[in-house]
Amino acid sequence: MKNRLKVQRAIHELTQADLAEKIGVTRQSINAIEKGKYVPSTVLALKIARLFNEPVENIFTLEDND
Amino acid sequence: MKTNYLLPNKFKKLGWVLFGLGLLGGVYIYATGLTDEFLKVKVLSIYDNQIFGKRSFFKIVENGIFDELVSIFIIVGGFLVGFTKEKIEDEFIYKLRKDSLVWALIVNYSILLVAILFVYDMTFLHILFFNMFTTLVFFVIRFSVLKYKYLSHEE
Repeated sequence: MKNRLKVQRAIHELTQADLAEKIGVTRQSINAIEKGKYVPSTVLALKIARLFNEPVENIFTLEDND
Repeated sequence: MKTNYLLPNKFKKLGWVLFGLGLLGGVYIYATGLTDEFLKVKVLSIYDNQIFGKRSFFKIVENGIFDELVSIFIIVGGFLVGFTKEKIEDEFIYKLRKDSLVWALIVNYSILLVAILFVYDMTFLHILFFNMFTTLVFFVIRFSVLKYKYLSHEE
């Protein structure tokens, strides 16, 4: 799964720590998601999408091998 | 993230203290070959089957309890470190904890298998002593390393 989390974060001028605090998760989670090392749960993906006021598909998209 | 087996975060510090003291004590016992004379007190032995003695049940015996204390410190301390909540507990930390546990189990038994094949006599007994604690030690180390590794280093 690809994600545009880093881009969205840049648009909203948030650090990983800021974003983690707003969502209520650890910095490790945000870092791992951005690096593609962790696929967040549906709940977490929806929370991130709601924060950025975007449909979840604009941030997380399937890849061919998923 | 809801988990029903994690203790509150405030116990983590106590866990590190017990775990550290326990490991130091363990190294001390191993380095000095401490005999069972230290801290000798009367204890309850539920079952005893001595090599050239009789079997006994529920008997009061004398025993140096330093090694027992060290074992309890390592086990209780290790559990407190590994199974208390982080300051922020979320699904990724939960995954790291589970992955570390599986990793520790695999590594521990892989080492034990190698030891069973290639280590004999008293040396193997020493490995068994270590093996009582190594799963927990590997778990705590792996979990700590992973948590540190995924801390963000933002550019």
